[in-house]
Amino acid sequence: MVSELSPTPGARSVRDDDERPRPPLPVKMVIAGGFGVGKTTTVGAISEIEPLTTEASITSVAAGVDDLTHTPEKVTTTVAMDFGCVTLDPTLKLYLFGTPGQERFGFMWDDLLEGALGGLVIVDTRRLDDCYAAVDYFEHRQIPFAVAVNAFDGKVEHDLDDVRWALDVADHVPLTVFDARDRGSVRDALLVVLEHALTRAEG
Amino acid sequence: MTSGEPLAGDDAEREVERPASVVRPFLLTAGRIAGGDSLVPPIPIETQVVSTDRGLAALDRFVFDQHRDIITVCREPQSLAEIAARLRMHLNVVRVLADDLRADGQLVLYAPQARSNRDATVLRRVIDGLRAVPDSRGAIREG
Repeated sequence: MVSELSPTPGARSVRDDDERPRPPLPVKMVIAGGFGVGKTTTVGAISEIEPLTTEASITSVAAGVDDLTHTPEKVTTTVAMDFGCVTLDPTLKLYLFGTPGQERFGFMWDDLLEGALGGLVIVDTRRLDDCYAAVDYFEHRQIPFAVAVNAFDGKVEHDLDDVRWALDVADHVPLTVFDARDRGSVRDALLVVLEHALTRAEG
Repeated sequence: MTSGEPLAGDDAEREVERPASVVRPFLLTAGRIAGGDSLVPPIPIETQVVSTDRGLAALDRFVFDQHRDIITVCREPQSLAEIAARLRMHLNVVRVLADDLRADGQLVLYAPQARSNRDATVLRRVIDGLRAVPDSRGAIREG
């Protein structure tokens, strides 16, 4: 399917006799983290639309069309994923996908997260364990990410160095504090991820 | 897909209410699914979809509501994710149906740029665009 798509949004389409609107280049970032850590709040704080929910499937067993038809016991889990978007300019639109769950974070997410510019792993310092799976995922997939401590009530209970030590993230991974309810704060946290990605891209 | 269970995800614990469809979605796709172990990589969820004039001209002639609905919402460019959310259809159903409509010349799909997270030019554009987002809502921002 993909090979037949128009490769460059914003460029001429394969059927350019149409006068239809020309879409922006879509880019996406992932908002990850444990249960109730503020992922949808984060998306909603900066999204130009109310966060939408879409159903997607994650499949933990390889399943072709026929396989799935004839062996329905294969495990396909439907998950609901909240997302929002920010039109950065008429030619560029940023999508933010909040990933549901945490334990199930794994290879099955590749379908949804392939091509993401980067990830923001949100951490509640009271429940650090919840974000390990997301950190592992981004590290293994080599997707640039930053860890963002959600400052509930405007305060963080732990020193950031302690958080870094506890999470055992590499020194080059940015660690920041933000407020998931605050638009400017979310923007800045996303910029931390993007600047980290840019450093890598230029390296 | 019938074996799938809704995952009690973080922000997704609420029940998603949906209108009952006369046609079961995966019946409409004739059992085809996107993703899985298909040899064809699934269409990225942020892929932009736009109806063609040909698709819009056919609006009155679609047998299935799902086809007509997709063409209708894609008067304005939409991502696959937005189509799925707005029409309350499973993402993988939308993937299949949108690809069918594309093959019929009724939709155009614009895939995202590959490896954009390694592309400094794209990253700089996103950074510049995001920096222009004001602190609070309500502020007027020029596109």
